[in-house]
Amino acid sequence: MKRFAAYVFLLALLLTGCGGPVDPDTAQESIQVLAMDTAMLITTYGERSPAAAYACEDVIRDLEAKLSRTLENSEVFRLNAAGTLEDLEAELRTILSQAGYYCQETGGAFDVTVAPVVSAWGFAGGDEYRVPSQEELDRLLELVDGSAVKVNGQTVALGPGQSIDLGAIAKGCAADRILEVLQEYEVPRANISLGGNVLAWGDRPDGTPWRVGIQDPARVGEPNAFAGVLELTDAFAVTSGGYQRYFEQGGKTYHHIIDPATGHPADSGLRSVTVTAPAARKDDWNGTMCDAFSTALFVMGEEKALEFWRERGAGGTFDLVLVTEDGRVVVTEGLADRFTLDETSGYALEAASQ
Amino acid sequence: MRPKLRPTAWDGLVVLCVAALALGLAFFQWQSGTSAGELTAVVSLDGAEVDRFAPADLLKAPRTYANNGYTLEVMLSMDYEHPASSALPPSGASGLCVARSDCPTQDCVHTGTITRSGQSIVCLPARFILRLEGGTAEDDGAVDAVLG
Amino acid sequence: MKLTTKQLTLCALLTAMALALSYLENLFPLSLAIPVPGVKLGLANIVTVFALYALGPGEALLILLARCFLGSLFAGNMNALVFSLLGGLSALGTMALLSRRRGLSLYGVSIGGAAAHSCGQIAAAAWTLGSSAPLYYLPVLLAVSLLTGGLTGLASACLFRGLRHTDLMKG
Repeated sequence: MKRFAAYVFLLALLLTGCGGPVDPDTAQESIQVLAMDTAMLITTYGERSPAAAYACEDVIRDLEAKLSRTLENSEVFRLNAAGTLEDLEAELRTILSQAGYYCQETGGAFDVTVAPVVSAWGFAGGDEYRVPSQEELDRLLELVDGSAVKVNGQTVALGPGQSIDLGAIAKGCAADRILEVLQEYEVPRANISLGGNVLAWGDRPDGTPWRVGIQDPARVGEPNAFAGVLELTDAFAVTSGGYQRYFEQGGKTYHHIIDPATGHPADSGLRSVTVTAPAARKDDWNGTMCDAFSTALFVMGEEKALEFWRERGAGGTFDLVLVTEDGRVVVTEGLADRFTLDETSGYALEAASQ
Repeated sequence: MRPKLRPTAWDGLVVLCVAALALGLAFFQWQSGTSAGELTAVVSLDGAEVDRFAPADLLKAPRTYANNGYTLEVMLSMDYEHPASSALPPSGASGLCVARSDCPTQDCVHTGTITRSGQSIVCLPARFILRLEGGTAEDDGAVDAVLG
Repeated sequence: MKLTTKQLTLCALLTAMALALSYLENLFPLSLAIPVPGVKLGLANIVTVFALYALGPGEALLILLARCFLGSLFAGNMNALVFSLLGGLSALGTMALLSRRRGLSLYGVSIGGAAAHSCGQIAAAAWTLGSSAPLYYLPVLLAVSLLTGGLTGLASACLFRGLRHTDLMKG
């Protein structure tokens, strides 16, 4: 009897346990995470794919709990409420320093202190969309100054009346931390899609690069309507576009990317900006950089964006795909042979070189 | 007829057959269940498909289905494994579950959350099936991710 | 099949016991621990096993039919009839076949019966729902049936050991 019991027990173990080594090309875990106001799709491969996928989810939830502007108890909420925080944890400190750096680099085109203006338009979530009066915007614009945010040791202080919104880089930060998770779990390949932010890790199971479609801003409602397709391996890619969130009032369309200089939705002649950068180490903060630059370059417009790329994007630090309002797609050098225009989109393809 | 009261080697064979059948079926389902693409939830009542939606559609409101005299409520489930995130109402969700049902067995409610393609929740009294399906299979023309 | 008074009494007694066991196991729903529709201990299977050996397949079938009809009637849920019937009949059929194999003990017979019961129930579910979705539960149910079958096998072995010296076994 005892032997029999042991037998049953062993079999039960066998049933619940694993069935030998798993082929990294076939083992796969796909989970969907609803966070940061978007639906995220995480697909990891390899022996430890389930654990890695759920670790990615943890990272996203952790960041959301810290960076959300609307969740009470989040670090950002506390910072905005008090104006200063003395026990800032290391990660948020780094993120704020990065934000300050990008603000400076982009000449203020990316600025986390634009939060009060964004709220006035109703884009902060929860509020009704509205068009603020010019006086109100002028008053709020005085609060917009990224250089007034001081990070000093563990203390961070905002300027008087300022508040910050890290929504424009939160998903980028998540992508950076996910990269770290993928490396820690030795995930050979993964396809991470965080709603406008993609991390293409490794290659596809068939050995070809991941195929990442750039939404055609003119055909938003249609599925699989792309301006073109990027072929990426070990890369971050982020798209910012005015079509992503907007409202209409009095026959005019107002979108969610606010120009910190004017307080109005950026009107730069661009319909979307895609920034790509290599994914190698979390400490490069390339995911966050792509997220910040896509917003900033959308605000800058085509000419300044290309100039910015020529100054700083040398050697493939980052590359761009710009979709313009007058029907052109401008692709920078590093992506020239990795971008395929969608012929049905009707766009004219242009290459930009150093 | 007197039965044998002590287990024999032949019993082991029966056990092995059942175990092999279970493992084989599980493996088959694992293989067919994990396909890439957007997850889609499919609801059928009395064997006929009545609804098809992306799980994210439930962010705004749960959906109710009535059949055979019973009513079920399908919603995005809060993530019990991450209690901290249950403070995040709309986004602390990662799967689908039957939140409420007035059926006598309550198996559908006890099944809990399903997250993967191929998984399903069945309520026999209401003749209700909620099934997650993976959208597009990977083929050469399709993209793996979309920016925008 | 001609029943003696003693056999008839035994059949009635066993039916009543099977019903009582079904009721008993509803008090401890295994489905709370393993949330899959249809998971249960299958205590009533002990009676089927006993009847199969002590009386014979025909009598076991009579008891099974009476148990299924009365059980559904008592529960006020005739929908459940098709499930318990299909499950019970496949279990009985399988066990009747397995019990003829000299090499098998009560354990093998019970486990085979429990597994067949799962298959029968899933088939009933697939049939009433008009979908193959219930098949998804089958691997789990089969795995569980290894344990529940082993348990009912153990219970029946104890039962037979206890009744070894009575004249019940001679029918």
